[in-house]
Formats: sequence, C-alpha cells, structure tokens
Amino acid sequence: MSFREKIHWVALVSLILGFGWYFTSYPWATANTLDGMLTSVWMLIPTTLIFLVPMVIGSVWFAIRTPKEANLKEDEREKMIHLKGTHAAYYPLVIGVWANIFGLINGLNYGWSVNILMATLVSAELVRVGAQLYLYRRGY
Amino acid sequence: MAQAPFTNNIKTLRFLADEMTQADLGDRVGVTRQTIAAIEQGKYSPSLEVAFRIAHVFGKPLEEVFHWQVD
Repeated sequence: MSFREKIHWVALVSLILGFGWYFTSYPWATANTLDGMLTSVWMLIPTTLIFLVPMVIGSVWFAIRTPKEANLKEDEREKMIHLKGTHAAYYPLVIGVWANIFGLINGLNYGWSVNILMATLVSAELVRVGAQLYLYRRGY
Repeated sequence: MAQAPFTNNIKTLRFLADEMTQADLGDRVGVTRQTIAAIEQGKYSPSLEVAFRIAHVFGKPLEEVFHWQVD
C-alpha cells in the first residue's frame, strides 16, 4: 500500500470519527432556532479537533515509517486517481448546494442550512476519499 | 475493469536485469512501486513518456517492452 493510500485511509477514518460525532451529538430538536445555529458553530471546534488529531498523528506516523515515499511527488497514476476522485465529489457537492438553496427559498432556518452545508461537504469528502481508495485498491 | 489493449514484458525484463525490483524500476522511471505493479498487471496504461522511460531503463525499443494485442 502506497503512502498516499495510507493517508487516504487515515482521512476516511478521521472524517467518520469527526463528523460522525458531530451528526450523532447535534441537538436536532433545536436545529431550526438561533441556538441551533450557534451550537453548530460551537461544535465545529471539537469536530475539527477530532478530525485533525488522528489525521496529523496518522500522517506523521506513516511519514516516519516510510520517509522516502512520503517525500515522493504524485506520479501520473496517482494524479489521475486524484482527479477522478475530485470529479466524483463534484456531484454530491452540487446536489447539496441546490438542496440548500431550495431549503432557504422555502423558509429553512440558518441552523438547518448550516447542517445541510456541513452534510454536503462531508458527503463530497466521503465520495472523494472513497472513490480514490477504490481506485487505489483496483490499481487504477 | 477493462484490461489494457496491450501486454508487456516488464516482469521478465526486470528478472533479466539482475532481478530488478519494482521499487528500483519505479525510482528510475520516476513513478511509485505501485504504479509499476499496476502497469505490469495491465491494470494501468502508462503515458507514452513513462512507457519510453521504462523501455529506456532496459535499453530496449518500446515494441520489445509493450505489445499491442491484435484482435
């Protein structure tokens, strides 16, 4: 398994841990109030920490274990995997943005709007990382 | 996944070149070991540049490394 693939696994686990905690702990009953929006903003701090800590530890750990690979530039196959993953992530991103626009037009409150945007971002990231991992596993 | 429409002799050529490893070949060509493995297995079609670089490492013309599979 290449260094970049390992980092992608770490990113996937970090995403699931960080935003899994966020979406399971969020007080959904208050989502449509000002408090709901402020809670979202406040919860971003621990979410970011839960996401970043395993990401940093994992990256440093693998970089120490395979320093040569860590310093390599992306080769052409990895660049293509990168581009394909980013391309796949575009679709959930567009759907999420349209869902948010639709919600705002129909009187959705900021608390829900922030959460839809967050879910959009997380979905896009999961699709990106997931697609890239699938391509790494398949060979291309 | 569709296989590449050509085969290659990279594994044999590596063996004949003092059992060169995929990592060594990757270093000399400028790609990762995993990319060399994917090319060898026909899972990834390299760019023309990488194909020429691989052939150059073995001192062979391109057509001795990669073979187009005629239908």
